[in-house]
Amino acid sequence: MTSAEQVARLLALVPYLQSHPDAELGTTAEVFGVSTEQLLEDLNVLWYCGLPGGMPGDLIEIDMDTVAASGRIRLSNAEYLARPMRFTPDEAMSLVVALRAVRELAGGHVGEGIDSALAKLERATGAPSPHVAVAGGSEEIRERLTEAVAGKVVVELDYTGAGLAPSSPLVAPAQLIVRDGFGYLQAWSLERGAWRTYRLDRISAVRVTAEPVGDIGEPPAFGPGWLEQRPDAAEVTLRLAPEAAWIAEYHPIRALRQLRGAIEVDLLVADPAWLRSLLLRLGRAVRSVVPPEAAAGAREAAAEALAAYGAE
Amino acid sequence: MNLAICLLMARRFIEKTQIRQVVEGYHDLSDAAFERTFERDKDELRSMGVPVETGSNNPLFPDEVGYRIRRKDFELPAIDFDSAETAALGLAATVWESATQEEQTVSALAKLRAAGVDPDPARLSGLAPSIGAREPAFATIWAATGDHTPIRVSYRGQPRQLEPWAMTYRRGAWYLLGRDRDREAPRMFKVARVDAPAQAIGKAGSYRVPDVDLDAAWRRLEPRQADTEAIVAIRPGRAVELVRRGRPVEHVGTVPAGYEVYAVGYARAADLVGELCAHGADALVLSPLRIRQAVITELTAVAGSLA
Repeated sequence: MTSAEQVARLLALVPYLQSHPDAELGTTAEVFGVSTEQLLEDLNVLWYCGLPGGMPGDLIEIDMDTVAASGRIRLSNAEYLARPMRFTPDEAMSLVVALRAVRELAGGHVGEGIDSALAKLERATGAPSPHVAVAGGSEEIRERLTEAVAGKVVVELDYTGAGLAPSSPLVAPAQLIVRDGFGYLQAWSLERGAWRTYRLDRISAVRVTAEPVGDIGEPPAFGPGWLEQRPDAAEVTLRLAPEAAWIAEYHPIRALRQLRGAIEVDLLVADPAWLRSLLLRLGRAVRSVVPPEAAAGAREAAAEALAAYGAE
Repeated sequence: MNLAICLLMARRFIEKTQIRQVVEGYHDLSDAAFERTFERDKDELRSMGVPVETGSNNPLFPDEVGYRIRRKDFELPAIDFDSAETAALGLAATVWESATQEEQTVSALAKLRAAGVDPDPARLSGLAPSIGAREPAFATIWAATGDHTPIRVSYRGQPRQLEPWAMTYRRGAWYLLGRDRDREAPRMFKVARVDAPAQAIGKAGSYRVPDVDLDAAWRRLEPRQADTEAIVAIRPGRAVELVRRGRPVEHVGTVPAGYEVYAVGYARAADLVGELCAHGADALVLSPLRIRQAVITELTAVAGSLA
C-alpha cells in the first residue's frame, strides 16, 4: 500500500521524468531527497498506475530493463500528468523562508534576482509568506565580499570586533554564513595563518586587492554549537536577577536554571572581551560569576570607566 | 495514486459507484472494505493538498454526489525563472537546519524541477545562509500557521488561545503574529517564550487571515525609532556602533582629553544605559544627567560587587 508521502512524491515524479527524458537514477533520487532503493520502489508502484480501466494501454509505461541496464529512466503514456501539483502551504512557506534567508546575505545583482524569484513564487502560491531578517550589515559590503569570493581575490577589511580596537586584516574570503541571526564572513586570515569569522555588521569597508587566493581548502564547519568546537572556549556560570532572562534569547546558552528569585545560566565563552562587555551591560543584574576570576576583566573595565567619569 | 489520476481525468463529477468500477484495486473489495479504503484515500489526498471537490452534475438531483479534481486547481501554474532567479532557488535547498522544513523545501524544488525549472546553486558558491528552528514549539506553530488551525499555547506560563496568521524570523528568533482570542485583538508572540508544543483547538481553515498590513506589524518589531539624543564622548576608533548611529557635535562643556563628542539617538533609556556600560571607558555619556547617573550606578555595582 502506498503512503500519502509516497503518493505526493509520485505526483511530482511523473511530470519530472517526462520533462527530463532518460533521467539518471542517482540524480533523480537526489532531486527528490530519497535513496535509490526508495526511487526503485516508487517506479515499481508507478508500473501499476494509470488511467481508469486498468487495460495494458492505460497504464504508465516505464522501461524497467533500461533502468536495470543503464540506470536511466524512460517513462511514457502519462501525458495527462505533465505538470506537478501546486505547492502545499508547508512547502511554499519553507521555500520562501529559505529564499529570504539567501536574500539577506546577497547583495546587488544577485539580490535583485532573488527579489524577482520571490515575487513570482508569491504570485503563484498566493500565500502570505514569513519574513526573515538577519543582521547582515550593508548590502554594498556583502556584494563586494561575494564578488571577491567568486573572483578568488584577497581583500582588506576595516573591522572592529566586540570590545576590540579597529583593525585592517588581510583575508582570503571563503563564504558568507548566518548563525543565530547574524551574518558572518568566513575567511582565511593571512596574518594569523588561520580561519577566522568576521561579523558582517562590524565590517565598515572592504578593499579588493589584486592578489589571488591560493589553495586554502574548505573552511571549517560552523554549525549550531560551533562555539563548543573551539578548544579555547570555557564554561562560565552566571547567577542573574530574573529581569535579565532576556540573555537566554539573545546569546547561545548551554543551560538555564530557574532558582528562587533568580536564574542561573551556563555560557561558553571563547572571547574574554565578549564576556567583559556582557557583564558590564548586565550591571546590577549580575549576582555572581563562577569561576569568580572570569569577572575580573569586567571589574577592571568598570573601575577604569569610573575613573574616567571622575577625572573628566 | 490511481484515484488521483481517475479524478483528475474526469470532466464531470464521478459517483462513488463508478469510481469503484474503474479504479484499479477497488473493484475486488467488499462493500465495507471499499467504503473504508475510498474514504481513507480521499482524505489522504486532501491532506496532501489535492483539491478533491464534491458536487453533483445534475442540478435537479443534488443528492447524487460525485467527486473530481479540477486541473487548474491542481496544477502548479507556469512560472518562468531567469538564470539569476534559478541560481537563488538552487541555494534554497541547503538553508534550513531543521530536517522537516529542509524536506519540504526539497520537495518544493522537486516540483519546480518537474515543471522544467532547473535550480542551479553553483553560481552562488560564496553564500551559505542558514535558518534554525530550535524553539520547542516551532513545529506545531509552523504547521498551524500553514493550514490556519486555531491553537492553545502556554505563553510565559499563561494559557492563550490564538489564530496564527503569519511567522517571521528576526535576529535568530521566530515570532508569530496572530489573533489572541481571549483579548480579541492581534498580538505578536515570541515563539521561544511558548513553553510547550501548541495544541489544536479547532479545524484547519476554520478562520480567515484578514488583510492586515503584515509589513507594518513586523516593522514594529524593529527597534523603535530613536526620538531623543544623548551626548557621548567616544575614544577615536572605539564604540563604532554608537559612532555609526550618531553625528559629531561641538560640546560646550569640557571634553575629556583623547575623546571625540557625538550626539547619539536612542529610544529607550534602559537600553542605552546597558549599551554605554558595555563600552566601559571607551564611551562616556555627558548628558542627559539621569543617563549619566544610571551608568555610574551600574558601573559602581560591577566594580565593587563581583569580588
